[in-house]
Parts: sequence; structure tokens; C-alpha cells
Amino acid sequence: MRSVRIKDVRKSYGTFEVIHGISIDIPDGQFVALVGPSGCGKSTLLRMMAGLEDISDGTITIGNRVINDVAPKDRDIAMVFQNYALYPHMTVRANMGFALRQRKTPKEEIDRRVADAARILGLEYLLERKPRALSGGQRQRVAMGRAIVRNPNVFLFDEPLSNLDAKLRVQMRSELKELHQRLATTTVYVTHDQVEAMTLADRIVVMNGGHVEQAGEPLELYDRPQSLFVAAFIGSPPMNFFKGAADEGRLRLESGEEFTLPETRVPVTGRVTLGIRPEHLTLRETGWPAKVSVVEPTGSETQIMARMKGEVVRVLVSGRTNLRPGDEISLGVDADHLHVFDTESGKRL
Amino acid sequence: MSDDTFGSIAHRASLRSGDRVRVVASIVAALLFLFPVFWMVLTSFKLQKDIFTSPPTFIFTPTLENYVSYLQRSTIPHQMLNTVVVAFASGIISIVAGTMAGYALARLRIRGAGFLGVLILMSRGVPPIALAVPMFLVGRAFGLIDSHIILILAYCTFLIPYVMWLMRGFFKALPKELEESAMLDGCNRFGAFFKIIVPISVPGLLSTLIFCVILAWEELLFAIVLTNRVASTVPVAIVNIAGDTVNGANWGALTAVGTMTVIPVVVFALLVQKWLIQGLADGATKG
Repeated sequence: MRSVRIKDVRKSYGTFEVIHGISIDIPDGQFVALVGPSGCGKSTLLRMMAGLEDISDGTITIGNRVINDVAPKDRDIAMVFQNYALYPHMTVRANMGFALRQRKTPKEEIDRRVADAARILGLEYLLERKPRALSGGQRQRVAMGRAIVRNPNVFLFDEPLSNLDAKLRVQMRSELKELHQRLATTTVYVTHDQVEAMTLADRIVVMNGGHVEQAGEPLELYDRPQSLFVAAFIGSPPMNFFKGAADEGRLRLESGEEFTLPETRVPVTGRVTLGIRPEHLTLRETGWPAKVSVVEPTGSETQIMARMKGEVVRVLVSGRTNLRPGDEISLGVDADHLHVFDTESGKRL
Repeated sequence: MSDDTFGSIAHRASLRSGDRVRVVASIVAALLFLFPVFWMVLTSFKLQKDIFTSPPTFIFTPTLENYVSYLQRSTIPHQMLNTVVVAFASGIISIVAGTMAGYALARLRIRGAGFLGVLILMSRGVPPIALAVPMFLVGRAFGLIDSHIILILAYCTFLIPYVMWLMRGFFKALPKELEESAMLDGCNRFGAFFKIIVPISVPGLLSTLIFCVILAWEELLFAIVLTNRVASTVPVAIVNIAGDTVNGANWGALTAVGTMTVIPVVVFALLVQKWLIQGLADGATKG
């Protein structure tokens, strides 16, 4: 059993509480991404799991063992840090074998496991080099190799790809996913990059201000965000929001547009925020009038930024377009893909 | 040729002339600092009559008389040995204690650590002469006067704060994830310190050790107050030569002893310089 259970965990620095009673269950072998903006407490929570921060209240359980008071070295957790934290005075081989040497593993076993990890990560030819002789991507691989040789109960990753350039990040992302599919070790991965979280994780936990905003499968979060925060955080390009007032199913936006929502969506009257993903706005002959301000072709699709009575609207169309900045367009809305939120509470209606 | 190209060439030229100025300034500074040492070494090979020629001369018949006669007649070899023992012992003890204290101040969450650190640093602000007499009284009470131990302990009082503050800054500059990683890899705090932090701090530790040894090597006040014959050090010998009221100051002997005092420190610094490579911690983190 290598499941992780976080129950009512709180973290305070003096009287200042930064994590306010978080509960997350992570089944054996699952890849969970903790996402959220800077300062939301995701790295703190990860460090509490690692034993690098005290737990002010609540419990963290790995398997059947509560680990609150267990020293980091006895938790059987491997962690990859954002800055890799390779031991600079040791070779790659020594770095990867360090944890096994600490556990008095026989030398032949260490050699075998280091060789296996090096083969998986393509590090065989770098084993005798020191970290300073490696590129950023190679260091990142060594950091992962150091974690996997231990065959730990849980992998913790603290934004491990954020220091790599864009191309290498995409490549390493795929390698990480493949690695997890191969090892099937319970993994907790902290990132502020929602694309990374969407592509890697079995389940995403969105955190905000020391709370869990929503936890669920990536596409569940994308399709049915439970709050304005999650709706804004998940998705790239981000969701469009329009403030307005609802009146018995009829919605009047601040921009002046008015239309009827499907019956079940607006049970009450009041101030609401309408969310529409860029791919759910379409170019039509008639519809909401807007003026194109920026056209960003990426090859397979084109992102259009337009202004609709002063408000910025993002539209994503597949393929290419002849639109130019300044062109007048009409936008159609796919009523089946609308997200309606209570403006005051931010909750989904 | 474009303006940009001209600008780029002009920029490179100004950098080169800047480099030249720095090199010339470094040479001038080095000559200024080294000239007294050079003159001391030169004088140590002169006879008394050549030392006071006016104008001073660079060309003379060199002699080893100052070295041979003084070494044969005086207690210098014994004092040299005392200096080696006291300087290295106090240096090493201070490095061990000061490094651990510096690490604790840099890394551990100790209530009042900042205040404690400042308090220890403030102890360096006390004039040594104000401490010499109390130290003498304490040393006498414990029967330690004129022993190596009292001198080593006295030197540790100012060397440990020195090491602590230097190493605290050094440790603060190291990424804390190194120890955290080691602690997840199976070390406790001490293991992480000794297996990871100490090895990568070798350049900092050695340069600090050199400064400690030099400070203890040249220390005079405590050596005069706390020692007499058995444990007295070379600086005391030099003062005795310079202040010889019976035979007058023997400048040849003085410079010979001065030269012998400098040589071990220079040799030590040369021996450890290969360890003083900058950037040993390079590669620990993101590239």
C-alpha cells in the first residue's frame, strides 16, 4: 500500500495560518498534480509530506503509517527539487547511489540499480561526470535518476521542469509521463503550469490561498470548473468572462448583450458571471459584434483577440483565418458549453 | 561599416583598456604591499654595516650570518615550534567550533539566533587589552600561565566569532535543498552537514583557516601577557630583539626572524591553494 492520505492538515507560522485544513486522498500509483498561483501553499504542503516542514495540525498517512513525526529519511519518499540539488562534489554515479549507500545497500545492488536508472534516463555515458559538467536537462535527468533508484513509496516533484527551456520542458514532460506509466509509483507533482498539470496528472488539485478549490480529473476540471478561480486558472488560452445580471433564465450582460440560457442553468435571479472557453465562441454571420485586435496563428489553430464593447474576448478557431486587426466580426455562442457563476461567491451555478 | 559595428569595436576597445588599467593597478598595489617584505628579506642577508648604508644599496655581499648565529644562540626554534602549535591548534579548533556555530545560525530555526549572532560579533569589538588582564587572572587561577593551552584558548575567543560569521555567510549562500535532499536520502541533520555541506565548503573552510592561522601567528598582545618562556611565540621574540636595551636592536637578526616567520605561512597558503578553487558548488542547482 503506497497510498497517501492528507487529512485536515494545517500549517501556521506563529499565528499566521497558510494552509487551512486540507484533505486529499491519493490512491496507490496515482499521479496527482498540485496547482495554484504562487503563495497558494502547494510547495508548503509538498514539503510537509516530505518532512521538511512541521505539520501544525492534522495527519499525513502513507500506507497505514501516520508520518507526522517520522524523520524525512525514514519516510521512504524521494523528492526532485526545482533546482535539482545535486551534490556538486560527487559524480553522477555517486549522486544516484547516495541514498542507497546511506541504507547500507550492497555495492553490487547499488551498481545494478544505478545502471538500470541510467539506462532508463539515457545517462549511461554521463555517470562519471560531475554535475557542473552537465547541461540543465542532464542535471534534471540526474535528479530524477537519483529519485528512481530508490524505488520509494512516493515521488514528490517540486516544479522540476520550471528551469528548463520550452522545448526541453515539453520533452521532459513526456519522459516523466512515460516514467510514471512504467514505474506506477504514487506521485505528487507541484507546478504552477496548468498545461503541465493537465498533460501529466491523473488528478489535479487546484489550490488557492491555502485551500483546495477543486480536485478532479484534468478534463473534469476543464469541463466543469466549480468556481471562477478554477475556471480562470485551468485552460490556455484562458476562459472569457462576462459579468451580467440574470432574471428568470434571461441573462443581460454588462456589454448590453442579452440571451436566454438553458432552463436549468440559472435558477435564481441576481448577479452572475458567464464563462465561455475561447474554442466555444464561433465566427458567424450574425451574433455578438466585436472588433479584431490581435491575430495569433500557431499553424494548427488561430487565436483571435477581439474587443467587444471595450471587453477583451479570446476566440480559438481551428486552422487558419484571413482576419486582420481592425476587422469587424460576429461571435456565436455555443449554449451547451456555457459556465455560469455566482459573481459574489464565485461558485458555479 | 555600420554605426553598430563601430560601437561594438569601440566598446571592446574600452573594455580592453579597462582591463589594462586594472592589471597595472593590481601590479602597483602588489608592489606596494610586497616591497616591505622584499626589503625585510633583503636586509636579512646583509651584514650590520650594509644595513644602514645611505643611500640604501641593492648590491652587497649576501650572508647567512643573521640566520645561523641567531638560530644557534637564541630560543627562536623553540618559539617557532610554539607558534606553529598554537596557531594551527587555535585555527583548527576555531574552524570546527565556528563552522558548526555558523551553520546553526545560518540554517536552524533558533529563537533569538540573530541577537545571539550579533552578541558574539560584538565581543570582537572589545579592545583586546581589556581582556588580557582578566585572561591572565583566570589563567593564573587554573595554573595555565605560560602554557600552550592558555594561548590557544585566548586565540579561540576572537577566532571562533570570526569563523562563525564568515562561514555563516558562506552557508547562507548554499542552496538549502542540498541538505534537504540529503535528509530525504537517508541522512540526519549532522549527516547532511558532514557528508554534503562540509565537503563542498572546503574552499571556504581552507581560506578561513589560512586567515585564522595568520591572525594567531602574528598575535602579540596575549602572547606577551600570557606567556613567559615555555610557550612564548615568535612575535614575542621579535619584540625582544627590537627592544634589546643591552646590545641594541639587531636589525639583521630581526629581519631574519621576520623572514622565517613569514615562510611557513606562505608555504601553507601555497600548499592549500589548489583547494581554494572558486565555484566548487557549481552544478549543484539549475544550469
